[in-house]
Amino acid sequence: MLRTGHAERVWLLLVVLTLGSAWLAETGRSGWPLAMVVAALIAAKGRMVIDHYMEMTGANTRIRRLLHLFVTVVPLMVLLSHGWSDVLRRLTTIG
Amino acid sequence: MNLAPAPALADASAFATAAEFPSGRVPGNPGIWVGIFCVLVEFLLLFCVYFVAKAHYRVAFLTGPDKLATIAGVAITVLLLTSGYCMVKAVAAIRRDARRATALWVLLAMVLGLGYPLVKFFEIRWNVAHGIDGQAGIFYTAYYYLTLNHLVHVSWGLLGLAWVGVRTLLGVYSPKDYGGLEAAAMYWHTTDVIWLVIFPFFYVLR
Repeated sequence: MLRTGHAERVWLLLVVLTLGSAWLAETGRSGWPLAMVVAALIAAKGRMVIDHYMEMTGANTRIRRLLHLFVTVVPLMVLLSHGWSDVLRRLTTIG
Repeated sequence: MNLAPAPALADASAFATAAEFPSGRVPGNPGIWVGIFCVLVEFLLLFCVYFVAKAHYRVAFLTGPDKLATIAGVAITVLLLTSGYCMVKAVAAIRRDARRATALWVLLAMVLGLGYPLVKFFEIRWNVAHGIDGQAGIFYTAYYYLTLNHLVHVSWGLLGLAWVGVRTLLGVYSPKDYGGLEAAAMYWHTTDVIWLVIFPFFYVLR
């Protein structure tokens, strides 16, 4: 059945996570912990919009999986590019 | 593919659960999903460009976010998320056949969405005043390219919202037929998802 106030709770959580990101930005931190937090935030916030705003739970499986894949691949790219930037640079250097 | 409309819902303040929809339902219409996945692939390629540039210019991407106005990025994020929330409410309202409420939620979503180009205008003005233009370095070139590209897609979304807003006022949508409204909402939420990636890339990640 329907859950009253659920939309409002999801919106509030998304805003709180955004403000948390802003705080992180202002600290000027860098490195692995930041990369991991950013990757987790992209995955979590993306899933929240997909599952709740877009109501993908129970929707067409192919569409749901592709959307979930997007918010899984991008955070993985964040981690891979952070940890293996030398490899990425070497692979994308011409000449 | 199940294109059957969702049944009318009793409460506009909440999301629907899986049990209330036919299993495997395609929200909106199949056409909008072709467009949505084209946009997602396009941005995925642009993100690859971002990662490659970041790997080649570590220092530029380490110091770049320091000069940007984080508050502008936060304001855009909150505007988009709140506008998206309004579209959730609009879809819930039409399911209850509350057409006036639907139109008001769509209008509110549009007004909040229009805040994005407005914030962007002031952000770019602030940037230029601080010497941050497209020539300021690779980080800022990537920043302008990705964020302005996203703004273009948001503009299509705003046009879509205006279209479904007018159609709602004309009484086109009903609890049995609101695919167009839901399709516009799906596209609008997709621009949210993409911005939720772009925001940390340029304002947070170093």
